[in-house]
Amino acid sequence: MKFTLFGVNIMLPSDVLAAWVFTLLLGAVVVFLVLKKKRLGLIWEYMVTTNHRKIGILYILFGIIYFFRAGLDALFIRTQLAFPNNDFWVFQGEKYNEVFTTHGTMMIFFVAMPLLLGLMNTVVPLQIGARDLAFPFLNAVGFWLFFFGSIFFNISFFLNMTPEIGWTGYAPLSTEQFTPGAGSDFYIFGLQISGLGTIFTALNLIVTIVRHRAPGMKMTRMPLFAWTSLITSFLILIAFTVLAIALYLLMFDRLFGAGFFSGTEGNPIYWQHLFWIFGHPEVYILALPAFGIFSDVISTFSRKRVFGYPIMVLSVALIGFLGFMVWAHHMFTVGLGPMANTFFAITTMLIAVPTGIKVFNWLFTMRLGVIRFTTPMLFSLGFIPSFVMGGVTGVMLSVSAADFQFHDTHFVVAHFHYVIIASTILGIFAGLYYWYPKITGYVLDEKLGRWHFWTFLIGFHLTFFPMHITGLEGMPRRVYTYDDSGGLAELNFMSTIGAFLMGVSMLFAIWNVYKTYKEGRKVGNDPWDGRTLEWSVASPAPEHTFDPMPVVEGIDSFWFAKSAGKKMPVTDQVRATPLEVQSILPFLIGSTLFFLSLGLTFSWYWLSILSAFILFTLLVVRSLKDEREDHYGRRK
Amino acid sequence: MKRLLVMPFLLLLTGCNIKVLDSRSDTANDQAFLIIYSFSLMLIVVLVVSILFIRFVFKYRYTEERKDNIPPDVKGNKWLETAWVIGPLLLLAILAVPTIMMTYDQSPVLSTESEQEGTSVQVTAEQFNWTFEHANGKTEQNRLVIPEGGTILLHLKSEDVIHSFWVPRLGGKVDVMPDRELVYEIKNPQIGTYEGKCAEYCGLGHTNMKFEAEVVSADEYASYLNEK
Amino acid sequence: MNRAEQALFNDKKMGFFIYLGVEAIMFAVLFATYLIFTPASNGPQPSEIFEAKTVILSSFFLLSSSGTLWLGERALKSEKQNIFLTGLGITMLFAIIFLGFEVYEFASFVREGHGMGVNVFMSSYYVLVGLHAAHVAFGIGWMAVLFVQYFRQIPLTLFTEKLSIFSYYWHFVDVVWVFIIGIVYLPYLL
Repeated sequence: MKFTLFGVNIMLPSDVLAAWVFTLLLGAVVVFLVLKKKRLGLIWEYMVTTNHRKIGILYILFGIIYFFRAGLDALFIRTQLAFPNNDFWVFQGEKYNEVFTTHGTMMIFFVAMPLLLGLMNTVVPLQIGARDLAFPFLNAVGFWLFFFGSIFFNISFFLNMTPEIGWTGYAPLSTEQFTPGAGSDFYIFGLQISGLGTIFTALNLIVTIVRHRAPGMKMTRMPLFAWTSLITSFLILIAFTVLAIALYLLMFDRLFGAGFFSGTEGNPIYWQHLFWIFGHPEVYILALPAFGIFSDVISTFSRKRVFGYPIMVLSVALIGFLGFMVWAHHMFTVGLGPMANTFFAITTMLIAVPTGIKVFNWLFTMRLGVIRFTTPMLFSLGFIPSFVMGGVTGVMLSVSAADFQFHDTHFVVAHFHYVIIASTILGIFAGLYYWYPKITGYVLDEKLGRWHFWTFLIGFHLTFFPMHITGLEGMPRRVYTYDDSGGLAELNFMSTIGAFLMGVSMLFAIWNVYKTYKEGRKVGNDPWDGRTLEWSVASPAPEHTFDPMPVVEGIDSFWFAKSAGKKMPVTDQVRATPLEVQSILPFLIGSTLFFLSLGLTFSWYWLSILSAFILFTLLVVRSLKDEREDHYGRRK
Repeated sequence: MKRLLVMPFLLLLTGCNIKVLDSRSDTANDQAFLIIYSFSLMLIVVLVVSILFIRFVFKYRYTEERKDNIPPDVKGNKWLETAWVIGPLLLLAILAVPTIMMTYDQSPVLSTESEQEGTSVQVTAEQFNWTFEHANGKTEQNRLVIPEGGTILLHLKSEDVIHSFWVPRLGGKVDVMPDRELVYEIKNPQIGTYEGKCAEYCGLGHTNMKFEAEVVSADEYASYLNEK
Repeated sequence: MNRAEQALFNDKKMGFFIYLGVEAIMFAVLFATYLIFTPASNGPQPSEIFEAKTVILSSFFLLSSSGTLWLGERALKSEKQNIFLTGLGITMLFAIIFLGFEVYEFASFVREGHGMGVNVFMSSYYVLVGLHAAHVAFGIGWMAVLFVQYFRQIPLTLFTEKLSIFSYYWHFVDVVWVFIIGIVYLPYLL
């Protein structure tokens, strides 16, 4: 659609127009509901909060919203690919390239990351007996940076300037010469801002886990989700920092005429190295917390402690460590030479060993136990075989000479969806069903939970299993159409049905949340007969927890005290509690970075300079309003 | 469960003609072997896990009789845990041997480091076309003609962004880089016409960046070269 | 400092050290970038454009500012307020002088036509040394805020903490500069 606004000719494709209409309508409904129910105060409360549970809720809320947005992208992709030589709506060529770029980028950075960070934020302090994260203010800053980064990335679609460089942003395609539009800049700054927030949150989690544990909660007694969060946070610190520099260099290439990744002297492979030094650990950043969730859930619903606790922790650490030594297995075909290819093939295979340990230990945790098939447990049970299937194709991909065939085909698409959906997404669902009472005070409906689980799991296998074969049939990834040969038509159609089944399953999830809210049956502290400390506090977790502070005497201390019919011993010898504040500054700090990036993207340098100035002013204000001033002895 | 239902159905659909496995050169043949080989080894893992999984989940499920059962407090078992460290290591060692051999044999190298002899073809990729230049200067777009048997040496270079050269039946892919020239060998191709395509996302026309790879007899190749 | 204050300070110290670790990784990647792309195959070469005089002078000011900060911090501990103020003041002055040299150096390169996009050596030089200079500039602003905090008479323990955190930052920035001398300049000035 073409129209003129303020003398400017604007071309709006139908999909963008649809997005505008849909968003405006939805926005109107939300505004109406908020005003009608007089909930503006609630929104303000969340904008100024620094409480870990509330920030966790914000992360989860936006993670879910983006999950639907990126999921819709996936449905567009699958509809376009439903039939050979199909022409669905606008999704051919450019629009198709945009839609797979946003699908990948959003799912990784704005769905999986915030959902995991949200769960960590909410649960980890409760699991280790901390009253909040070590730096509540910084925690809020981390969230609002994520928020504004994600909004920055998302507005590109409404301006019809969506990036079309794939989530990997390979140079030189991502340099100014080949994608001169603003799309790639939205990619760069969106990831840069939200990545910075992620780094702050990781730092915060490390200090919390190392220094804020309850008395007696030794590192060797922590629940596995706390352990995996700790190790994941270290991975984030390294990986996201490398990504930050990669994006920083790409920004100079695009905006200021540097030539790191293109031209006669630049080196496109350097981008790939930097990107995958981030990108491969990122896969473990997504998977490890999920492993932690599964460990806790499986142990709780088998009524047994985790089998082989020390080796479970060790294997997570080992996966994290090896995760940094395998990045070039994404680059077997770029010609690094036989020696590098062999090295990275072997290190990649080695990762299978600690992962295998974990799988067997989960299985043996269930052995001799009493397995209750609750929804969180169903998701965990669905995870084990699905993830093993993804894992073994991973080993197949590590065979570098075979990878010459697999590389960049639907086989790879099948593989990484198998591992990421099976671990991260099923893990997030397991975690959300499991900790929902701790977050909201309600238990989600079990029957709808089962519907959600089975439709999702069947849809997931139906979507991605055929892709192994289409890949071997010669279907590269990131193509918008294919010829009807070798069963491609049938297999692709099957994938499309599966994708829609997954879409339907999410409707069950929504219905479930709505129904649970309507029925409003509050539950007690410990609806699942849990083992770890979070089940000793009220549901939902109050702002001030662990008063009096419990003393931990071993692994699953809460459960052992409970089954012996005793209460956990308590103490009033408690270390200083982190200082929570109410402040709008984190929100404002995030927004200045948003406008700073907007200025750089469109060369409105006055806006960038102004935003930077406001940003530094806000930092000074922050320093002058330090909440600790009131808690310290005044100067004599 | 549902996977077991789906799998035979899929195999019926596709038969054994999967392109990558139905190879038409020694290079692709080796790769197909590796795929089948690693797949079989990995099938062992899947089977072991599935059997344990189904057995444990079924045997230790919650029942009315076991409602109040408190399971023994098992912390771990050194022997078992050692077993599943050593088992996978052995399996991977078996997998690693042919992997290393073929990786050394097949990895693309820089043109300056290549010492192989064979029929050379200069492959130039640009958005969104392939140009093939033969030893005598004969040039054709989007159609690669090579002689059967012997070794084909493809010298690949890109004019703009990164592309990837792929003819599934003749061998795996190799990236076509703008800043360096790589050499990829195809050993002993068999006569036939195969589809080739770009496998690295390269922009707007990526989907349609295809070409035809035609393997002909040595005589036909000679006359092809001399055609005007 | 009582126990509660000590605990909160140790939290902050640990958090800040982790943050410096993040910074260290950032600079490490930029150093790697510089080593990969320098010298470039055409355009200006490092040995042609670097001037020993500027490097030595700017290094003198930046490196000795670490010393003056240290002296100031020690003076605060023994409650010699004036020496402390002088120490912090000189640190800030030296930092400003250093920044002046950096600006002068960048400006003279650009005047000679050696801008960001001339070749990959210049690009990697600017993104590395420029990021360091930005850190120095940020440090100057930070010191200004410290002065304000001092005269606002915030609790002394809190001020000491803020000063300690800043001094970690400042010494870190100095260490990065030492690496810049060793990796960026020295190989091409000898």
